[in-house]
Amino acid sequence: MSALTLTTPSPERPRQTRWLLRLHRPALCAWVALAVVLAALLLALAGPLVDAAAEGWRQYGACGMSPRCSYDQAAIMRYKDYYNYATIALNLLPFVVAAWAGAALTGRELESGTARLAWTQSTSPAGWLTVRLAVPALGLLVCTGLLSRLHHLAWAAGEDRIDSAKEWYDRFTFHANGPTLAALTLAGLAAGALAGLLVRRALPALVIGVLVTGAVRGLAELALPHLWPAVTRTGSVDRFVPGDGLGVDQGMVTRGGAHVPAPSCDSPAGCDAAYKDFVGRYDVFHPASHFWPLQLTTSALFLAVTALLVTACFLTLRHHTGALRSPRTARTAKTA
Amino acid sequence: MSSDTALRADALGKRFGRRGGWALRDCAFRLPAGRVCALVGPNGAGKSTLLALAAGLTAPTEGALTVLGTTPAEARPRVGYLAQDKPLYPQLTVAETLRMGAALNPERWDPAVAEGVVAGGDLDPAARVRTLSGGQRTRVALALALGKRPELLLLDEPMADLDPLARHDLMGTLMGQVARYGTTIVLSSHVVAELEDSCDHLLLVGGGRVRLAGEIDELLAAHLRISGAAADADLGPHTVVESRVTGRQLSALIRPAGPLTDGWRATAPSLEELVLAHLRSPNAPSLTEERAA
Repeated sequence: MSALTLTTPSPERPRQTRWLLRLHRPALCAWVALAVVLAALLLALAGPLVDAAAEGWRQYGACGMSPRCSYDQAAIMRYKDYYNYATIALNLLPFVVAAWAGAALTGRELESGTARLAWTQSTSPAGWLTVRLAVPALGLLVCTGLLSRLHHLAWAAGEDRIDSAKEWYDRFTFHANGPTLAALTLAGLAAGALAGLLVRRALPALVIGVLVTGAVRGLAELALPHLWPAVTRTGSVDRFVPGDGLGVDQGMVTRGGAHVPAPSCDSPAGCDAAYKDFVGRYDVFHPASHFWPLQLTTSALFLAVTALLVTACFLTLRHHTGALRSPRTARTAKTA
Repeated sequence: MSSDTALRADALGKRFGRRGGWALRDCAFRLPAGRVCALVGPNGAGKSTLLALAAGLTAPTEGALTVLGTTPAEARPRVGYLAQDKPLYPQLTVAETLRMGAALNPERWDPAVAEGVVAGGDLDPAARVRTLSGGQRTRVALALALGKRPELLLLDEPMADLDPLARHDLMGTLMGQVARYGTTIVLSSHVVAELEDSCDHLLLVGGGRVRLAGEIDELLAAHLRISGAAADADLGPHTVVESRVTGRQLSALIRPAGPLTDGWRATAPSLEELVLAHLRSPNAPSLTEERAA
């Protein structure tokens, strides 16, 4: 048997990808439509909408102190609203993916038994799961990568021209502006798939997939300030300019040089009294130049979580179905 | 392992959850290739678990199951499986379902076989699976299982939701498979009568154990239904599967170990009697081919 396998020129492999796409055609169409709408919105934000809003702000700035003055407030509001819609939508994408993966990709197949149908064709359960994770992952990676690039474009276009533009460290803007979006989407895919494999029912898997993704995102937000060495700035008690960026910590410097939290006080006199023993203030923060380091470390964190979740997916599947290696790989391993 | 064995269990056991009960325990039997085997037992006896183990859908907790001379996972391309609820993708059409079967079984698929099974049921290939009736779904699911030309076909309660005519059709299709390709078929049911005519091998499971395993003819020949006076009942050397006293009359199902003494009226039991007697008497010793040999 082994010799036969060795001499046979690569046997035909089951064509799973096409059928995965066929089975999830409605979801695929909905996703593509959503992505196109979001891309169009982001391009509009980066072009005409930001230009109109910037013109509105220029007019507003030119008004100075004059009580009667006209400026294009509608354009400013339109840019602000649409920017928020786009940012929120991008932030929700990983959760949408987690819900779909939990409900449709694995949960429903295990609930309705079609997974068993698939596992009794010539494809192993591991092959079934690999295709179900790899194909969406590839598509989502490209799609969310492009969308976050466009979002960054739209955000950067307004950064210096729109007074009300979001800072780079605004949590929603941050997670829509770079590779953390794609990385969290992959984590959502894996979380949903794992939930489906574990609870074997579509609706609970949908909920659990979303909750796990939310927990991953929440933990990342807590960890974010500590994922890259922050900058510390110190100055005198009276004249101190806090750092411009993502604040990590701030307080007072003692005579010994120690950094301690500022004591609370509620009146100028009280504050003077409370601060008299300190020699200065300090501020720990991430300047704008830390955007990319923080993006990359957060993405790495998401990808590590994704790897854990994917491993758990395959372990769960092995627990259900026993040996995971497909006949072909098992045989190749034996002959090697 | 010789290739004339379709299924062989050695001390096979399956428990669900770490503290759950055993669905199957200590199962040992051998099913020769080319047989049509009735897997019989009450609901919850472990029939579905045994079939799922053979199909490589779950892993045994202990012991081993050899399928077509190899592990269930390696035998996967050569095994057809029809689950009890006949799951199919509801959004696909009948024709798409068969094309998927072809795509997922590239080295084995025989479109003529699959289309033949579907054509026998007067089905519209463009109809979506979700619009089909229970019998039609069974037919499509069976076409998918037969299209890969399995050497071993595992059918979990295939008749459960079929009307008598559809049952007859299904058995006809299956027997045609056996005749043309020598396919080994295992089909489970809790109704003995519906399998009696078409099967030549029996696997009786009850309480998670294999109670009877072997050729139906040999199993029937190994048992006698006897009746006689309860007073001088000495069944000494024989194995009593089940005995009942009505008034002064004793009737029993036994495995004779030698010639019967005078005074007993002996008749050959029917398959149903044999099965029921074993199921009613959980403590009666099992008879499997291993032990009979």
